[in-house]
Order: sequence, then C-alpha cells, then structure tokens
Amino acid sequence: MKRYNIRLAGVGGQGVVTSAHIIGNAMSNSGKYASLVPFFGSEKRMAPVEAYVRASDQPIYEVGEVIFPNVIMIYHPQVITHGKSYTMPFYSGLKENGMVIINTDVNILTDEDWKVLEELNTKVIEFPATKIALELAGTELATNMAMLGLFFGITKLVSQEDIEKAVRERFLGNTFVASGGTAALDSAIEKKFKKKVELLEKNMMVIKEAFKMAEEQGWVEEEQTAIA
Amino acid sequence: MGLEYVRITTGFEDYMPKDYVDLVKYGQFGKEYDIQDLGTFKELVEEHPMCAGCFMAYFIRVFYASLPNPEDSIVIGTAGCARLQLSQAAVPFIYGNYGDTNAVASGLKRALEIRFPDKNKDVIVVAGDGGLMDIGFGMTMHSWFRRERFTTIMVDNEVYGNTGGQESGMSPKGVQLKMAPKGKKFDKINAVELAKAAGCVYVARIAPTNPKRLAKTIKRAILAARHFGPTFIHAYTSCNIEYSIPTEKVLEDARNREKNDFAFYEWMSDEVKGFFEQVETKKKEAQEVK
Amino acid sequence: MPEQKVVDTDYLLLEAPRERKFITGAQAMAEAIKRANVDMAIAYPITPQSEVMHLVGDLWAQGYLKDYYRAEEEYGAFSAISGAARGGVRVFTATSGPGLLRGLEAIASWPGHRIPAVLGVLTRVVNAPLSIQPDNIEISYLLNCGAVVLHAENQQDTFDFTLAAFAIAEQVDVYVPVAVATEGFFVTHAKGYVNMTPEDMKLPPRNPYKAPVPPTDNEIPPARIQRDAPVQKSNFMSYLIHAVWQQEVWASTTRAMKYIYKYLGGPIEVVNPDAEVFIVASGCAAAQSREAVRYAQLEGLNVGLVKVKAIRPFPEKEIRKVLKNAKGIVVPEHNIVGWLAREVKAAIPNNDRVVGGPRVYGGMTLPTELIMDEVYKILGVKKERKVLV
Repeated sequence: MKRYNIRLAGVGGQGVVTSAHIIGNAMSNSGKYASLVPFFGSEKRMAPVEAYVRASDQPIYEVGEVIFPNVIMIYHPQVITHGKSYTMPFYSGLKENGMVIINTDVNILTDEDWKVLEELNTKVIEFPATKIALELAGTELATNMAMLGLFFGITKLVSQEDIEKAVRERFLGNTFVASGGTAALDSAIEKKFKKKVELLEKNMMVIKEAFKMAEEQGWVEEEQTAIA
Repeated sequence: MGLEYVRITTGFEDYMPKDYVDLVKYGQFGKEYDIQDLGTFKELVEEHPMCAGCFMAYFIRVFYASLPNPEDSIVIGTAGCARLQLSQAAVPFIYGNYGDTNAVASGLKRALEIRFPDKNKDVIVVAGDGGLMDIGFGMTMHSWFRRERFTTIMVDNEVYGNTGGQESGMSPKGVQLKMAPKGKKFDKINAVELAKAAGCVYVARIAPTNPKRLAKTIKRAILAARHFGPTFIHAYTSCNIEYSIPTEKVLEDARNREKNDFAFYEWMSDEVKGFFEQVETKKKEAQEVK
Repeated sequence: MPEQKVVDTDYLLLEAPRERKFITGAQAMAEAIKRANVDMAIAYPITPQSEVMHLVGDLWAQGYLKDYYRAEEEYGAFSAISGAARGGVRVFTATSGPGLLRGLEAIASWPGHRIPAVLGVLTRVVNAPLSIQPDNIEISYLLNCGAVVLHAENQQDTFDFTLAAFAIAEQVDVYVPVAVATEGFFVTHAKGYVNMTPEDMKLPPRNPYKAPVPPTDNEIPPARIQRDAPVQKSNFMSYLIHAVWQQEVWASTTRAMKYIYKYLGGPIEVVNPDAEVFIVASGCAAAQSREAVRYAQLEGLNVGLVKVKAIRPFPEKEIRKVLKNAKGIVVPEHNIVGWLAREVKAAIPNNDRVVGGPRVYGGMTLPTELIMDEVYKILGVKKERKVLV
C-alpha cells in the first residue's frame, strides 16, 4: 500500500492550490484516492502559500493540514532562502524515509539542512521546475505542472492520461473554484495562451518532460509499502 | 380558503361556544363594517388585560375593527404591552422572539405567496417603539429595504411599558425614565422619515383621535402592502401609567400631541395614490348605483 | 430547471440508485438541498459557510427553490426561517461559529415553536481572537436548544445527513429542527467521494397539515400556544404550560432516534467492537480516528472506533453498551471544552476510563499521531516518534 502525505509550499501566484486540485483529480481519475486541503489565509501574490494532499491506493479518511508529511514539495526557492513559509524550517514535521522535492537550479540547502535530512534518510531532489516551464511552455506559470509532473513521474501513482484529464477538467471544464483568487489566476493563465487547447498542450509538454527526467535521473520509486 | 376555516361545521352550531357562534354570525368575517358601527357588531377582540385608560388598547380595538379581510389576516407581535391584547383576538397571532417581527413577517409573507399565489393573505406587524425602533431596528429597516409586502404598525407609547418604564429610542428628549435617570439625552427617532427613506410605499403618522380617519389609514396601509410594498403607520398610543396621564385626560393628551408633534401625516408613492383614487372612485360609483 | 420527479422518501433515502462523484462538502450539502424539494432558503454570509449558501442560491436561480434571499444578519435570517416555516413551506439555512451564536436566540426557540427547519452548521472558531478555521466549539451551544444535532464526518455524511434531516424533522412525532454540522474547510472546501441519488428525483413536498402544530396560514385554526403567551396567565399556569411544552419538545427530539436508525443506520458506527481501547469521536475527529485505528492495526494493537453521528438525541444506551469492557476510551476533539468527552463521561459507568483528548482548537488539524500517543499511554506502549518539529 502506498500512502503519501504531502505538504506543498510555494508563494502566491504559482498555482500551488491549483496543482493540489489536479493531483487530487488525477488520483480520482485513476480510481485511487486523494484528499486535499488548501490553506486558507489571506493569500497574496508572492506571499507564502501551503496546500496539503493525501494520496493513496487505499481509502483515506484523515482530513486537515498535514502536520507530519512524508513528502514535501517546495515550489519556490524563496520558501527556503527567504523563509517564505508558514512552516519553519521547511522540513519541520518530516517523517523518516520521506522525500523532498525542491524547485531550484542550484543547491540552496545549507550543510546543516543536509545533515538533518540525511539523518531522517530523506530522498532530496533538486529539480529545475521553473526552468523547464520557461523552456517548454514559455511561462513560469507552468512551474506547478512541472512539480506535479515530477511527483507522479517518481511515484507512478497515475498515468499521464489521468493527469491530462485532470488538467483539462481544471482549465477547460466548469469545475468548482473555491476561491476568487484562484479563479482570477486561472483567467490570467488563460490570457497567456490564445487558445485553451494550446494551454493544455503546453502544460502536458511540461508534465511529460518531468516524467522523462524522473526516469533519466533514476528517481522513480521502487514498489514499496509507505506507511504514513 | 379563509372563510372556510372560521365557518362552523353544519350540526355543530349548538355545541360551539356562544362567543364563537356570535363571531361567525354577527362578526366581521366576510363582511365589511364601517368603523362608526363599532358597538353594533361582534368584534374580533373584546377582552384584554391592558391597564385602565390605556390608549393602546383603544387603538388595537379600532385596528381589528378596520381589517379589510380578518379571515385572511395574520398579526405578528413581539414583547410589549400590545401583544397582551393582540393575542386575545380572533385572528391568528404570532408571538416570536424579541424584536423579530419584521423578519418573521418577511418569511411568513413569502411562504404564503409561494403556497397561495392567487390569494391575498395580509400579514400585519403590530409592535411597540422598543420592538421596532430599538431591538428590532435592523430587521425593521431591512424588511423595508427588501420591499417586503406587509404592513408595519408601530404603537408608540414612548417607553418600555411592559418591563416597568424604561427609556426607548422613541421617548422624547429630556424625559426622565428608568435607565435614563438623568433624562433622555437624544431626540425621538424620526421613524416616519426613516420609513420613507427605506422604501415604504405608504407612510402615515397618526394620533388616534378620529376613529374614522384611523380606520381609513389602517385599511390603506394594508391594501397598499398587498399590492405594492412595505407600508408603515406610526401611531401615538400613550402610556398613561408611566407618563402619569389621568385616565380622563388620555384623549386630551392625544389631541395636544396632535397639535404639536403628532399632526396627521400621510405620504404615499404615486403608484399607490393612483391605486386609491381608482378604488375610491369605484366605491363611490357603486354606492351611487345603489 | 431540469425536470425532477417526486419519489417516496424511503425510496430516495434507502433504495434509489447512487452515482459516485468527487466533490467538496459544500457541494455535497447543496446537492442534498437540490434533491430535498426545499421551497425557500435564506442566506447570510460567513466563512466558511458561504460556499454552501452560494450554491443553494444558484439552485434557486436554476428553479430548484421557489424563494431565496440574503438576509440582514443571522438573527434576522433565522427569524425569517421561523416565519416561513410557520407559513408551511420547507426551509433551509446554514451558518458558522459566530453566526450561529448571533442567531442562537432564534434557533433555541425553533423547537418550542415547532419549526421543522434544517440548519447547516459548517464549523468555525468562535472569537476571540479572530480566526476562520474549523474549531467546532459552536456545537456545544447548540446542544441545549432541543434540536436534533447530527455531526457529519465527511462529504458523504454531509450529503446523507442533510437529505435525511428533512425526513426526520418533518415526522409528526418529531417536528423539531435538525442541525447538520460538519467541519468547515476540512470538509466544506475539500473534495471527497460522494454516492448521490439521481439528480432528477426529489423528496415529496412538505405537508404542513401533517403536523403536531399546524401552520399559520388562515386555512386551519392556529395552535392555541401561538396565541396565548403563558406569561399573561397566572404564574402557575405560566410554569405549567412552559414545562409541559418543553417536556414534549425534548421527548420529540428523543423520538427522532428511531428515524436516525431508519435513515442513517443508527446514531453510532462501531469499528472493531471487541477492541481493548476505544476512540470515541464525531465529525472530522472520527475521520482522524479511523486512521488511528488503521495505524493501530498495523502495529498489532487492539483499538476500536465509536463514531457518534447523532449528538442530539445523544446515544447514551448504545455507547454504554459498546464501551462496557473498554480498558480505556480516548475522545479526540476539535474544541477546547471537550463537549463530546463530557457527554461520554455522563453516559458511562467508571468514567475515569475516559481520556478527554487530544484536543486541538483554533481550527488546526488533529494529527492522528496525537491520538495514537493517548492509545500508547493507555496500553503502556513505549514509543519514540522520530520527527522533526
């Protein structure tokens, strides 16, 4: 049984909550289970944002923020370097044998950070998500797609078709949007692209690249029983 | 249905209380009496526990005698002297919580419109100055803003009479009452102007010295609410106990107030004015034909 | 508006086919309203409830409801609900924490006025200090009102309880309001799987004449209690009328139990009935406890769960029976006062077995790990958790 308790941390405007919804819906599309909790504070552009997702191939009952995650995804290097986070240090609460994915081109962790993470036997992945988003989609707004693509590329919880369906539902479907801010962000993303279809294609290109990278770098997880 | 539920089932006439039989036979249900015939027909309210010389008791007597359709009317009240008498009438009465009259009336009127779209069911709030202008102020105002189609009648005795004589927002400035041991510090609230500003389509201020005019005002307020929107009557109904008015001087006091700050005042929207002109011309024509 | 056909209440609640959707708790509550043949809803904004009443407003715009408006504030909203219910229509409203307290005088009077309204309570912190997060302390204020109070664990419960609430509230031998509470954000804004009855089927309309207290609509003589305020009789009469009336109200609430069995499968759900240690929880705390039971199983510990669905009427008898041989009882809660622990302690003998906690308040999540800590303590298991905090 696989069980991932994920904390997603980024800054306002990156689509952190949106990607949490897509992870959840992709899990649902594949017939598996997910529950998610967006952090609701006064979210502002470039202010800290957190979202939480639980994903499993077994039913999930637990709700609320993930206090003790086994996966942490950092969407923006400033979460670590500038302390733009509700959870300080960024790895607080992390369980043993977990995984940390950080969107960065260079090593931004201190020696002390490395020591702590090694003691917990953490798999640390430094991943240039924004760089990939800019190269393939021409916008850093697709950073969230790279991040969720890598998560699924590593965990193989769902197929690329399940993700594509979830992305399509999000941007092309008439899905429920809980926050006005999120709705505004969606339309900002749409404006970047002439057609919604183009938006979908570019997003999928980013996701596929992240999958490829997971394979190439040998990050793909072995079948295992993860007890959260 | 209205009349159906007040009517006595055939065969039961001999077993119903005499008061009830009289009410159906000689009362106002399904008939229209002139207020000047008061005393010649069985009234909707005959007993009450109000103080001797209470002007509010007189007002409520005239109010019930003026209802255009008592068999299809519901009266809503709140804490205060008025409800002691309102609850004794042969018209359904709702006593909810403190100051909630205009919110309850909003829900009730809308529900009746959903269930009986083709019938006139009159909802009338009769509440005091404290209930409408203090504790229930927000709900009173918002029912008007929303243009709810019912009548609000404020029986203003300028004091919390039922709880022992405390200052209300409608007490005149300077008056010494309980909870205002040094005298009231601010002016009487201008309820009539508030009602106009808030969207009432018919607004009247009246000291009930002339029963004919009072009856006409009440009927107009109810009919206008039925067809156009919220209506409001601000009535002076003195408290002879807390304001120490000798019983025999109660009417004189009302006449004095009428000369000062309670002169009869009636305002209505053009739409309502046109409606009454039409109704009253028709009535006249009918009478001439007779 | 899509055509909806009226089907039998029992059929809709118990037999109708269901389709699985992945939706938020707010959507689940609104979907129940869509199928409940509600005439009128009255809304007043408060986070996190607003989502529910936005969606119900959309239902009105689509023609599912006949009337809907945004009220002036909660006391006005709940008073208008009582006016509309007296007028004979089926009504719904929803609120959260401070809103519930603002309108509590009206709500506390609903049972006495025999108002069969359904009230959604999407829990939230009661100030101060200000927070909008899910702390369910407001439920403790609701417990002494005379209303039936159901506490939903997740989106599925929210749908089921809300739809069943109308059926329970309008039973002639019940006829008191039913509150359906669930945690704000954790349930209202999070998605879960909900098996829903078909969209084109709805409950039969309310029949206001099938009632212990008739409507006030000039079609039927009104109830005497509505006319004569007891206080204007003698003191003795006043006492007597109030006493017998309230006895009947609370007896009515108790009688709701048989419908809770019929429509919700009973007031409690028990997982692992032969357990050594039980976790007793309601709402989201039950979801966390379910995970704790799973953890315990993996660790070879004999732990069970009693999920309390009905807080009023409180299932004393049922809980006493299940907990008869429990070595220890953990009651995790999302509030500081521990209202559920009080109820459990009052219901069972040897109540020093009850551990009142863990409690989180202010609206934080309730980590399963904290529940497990209490379980370990009861079982004398020494455990060191290697986590960075």
